[in-house]
Amino acid sequence: MSHATHSHTAHDAHGEGGHHHVASSALFFKVLVALLFLTVITVAASRVDFGAANLLIAMLIASVKAALVMSIFMHLKWDTAVNRIMFLSSFLFLALLFLFTLADLSTRGMEEQLQRVAAPVADQWKHPNPSGGGAHH
Amino acid sequence: MSDHAHHSVVIPAPGPGFQDHVVAHHFDTADQEFDACKLGFWLFLATEILLFGGLFAAYFYFHQMYPETFVACGRTLSWKLGALNTTVLLLSSWTMAMGVRSAQTSQKGKLLVYCALTVLGAAIFMVVKFFEYSAKIDHGFLPGRFFTDPAGELAHLEYPNMFFSIYFTMTGIHGLHVLIGAALIIWIMFGAKKGRFHAGYYLPVDLVGLYWHLVDLIWIFLFPLLYLVP
Repeated sequence: MSHATHSHTAHDAHGEGGHHHVASSALFFKVLVALLFLTVITVAASRVDFGAANLLIAMLIASVKAALVMSIFMHLKWDTAVNRIMFLSSFLFLALLFLFTLADLSTRGMEEQLQRVAAPVADQWKHPNPSGGGAHH
Repeated sequence: MSDHAHHSVVIPAPGPGFQDHVVAHHFDTADQEFDACKLGFWLFLATEILLFGGLFAAYFYFHQMYPETFVACGRTLSWKLGALNTTVLLLSSWTMAMGVRSAQTSQKGKLLVYCALTVLGAAIFMVVKFFEYSAKIDHGFLPGRFFTDPAGELAHLEYPNMFFSIYFTMTGIHGLHVLIGAALIIWIMFGAKKGRFHAGYYLPVDLVGLYWHLVDLIWIFLFPLLYLVP
């Protein structure tokens, strides 16, 4: 394998850093086949009515595909820890965004309930006790 | 350390047809240059995830509010063209990965071929996208207040223009990334032809490759959400 010798030269030129990893062509090809296969599965799964689970299934398959692209095609599997953390932390912030959006969405149409609980309190804020206070004038 | 400051670090060309790489003067070693640039690029890609993440949040929000609209409007898109473009992007992601590998192993000819194939994938993707956009424009299925729908095909739905706002914004920004990615790969090809990239120095190929894979990554989620609306 001439490729193996090549990759060793690359390693030697840079010292022993794991981030100069040369992945094998066979691995790349296997990932490509897996990605194409999962695309077929995505289309097939969308044809079956799983109700609300359809969205979850579609996102699950997409996440597996994304994990393959990130770890192998983008070499994240062999990259340094700091690069991995840098990139993957974006998904943490994304989760926060989705969480708060979901919180808003799931409390929509609850105005009446909120009114019942909050109206007396809000009233007090709008019309503070007229007899008391008034210290600052 | 201090005596290094006046001498540039040079990575020698691996053979004829290749160029030496001179490490930028503010770096002590080639490894330091490589690591610093890669860290910066991963940070940039993280911001790209957040950019598209906001759009995905908008998608989920309105999908949840108007599920019938989203399902019906999604059916106006051709899932076959969507699947074709998915396949094209996955193949081009693979050719890009092989291109980076060719640079890592100092195979100049292969690097050029794989880059050319990736650009071809980008071109096919954009041509398909052009025909898809044309069809939507013909039907008046446009974003926001530009939505007309003269035939009244989607008149029975609540806010169909909202779906097309999201569709055009997401695929539009994604398409812009495809064009920028293709331009960057062509730029890599000019450098590759001069022999700039080899086992000792392939950083620009690596970074452009990462950008291209991100384009693929976004599309992996866009395809089921827009073309096969669950």
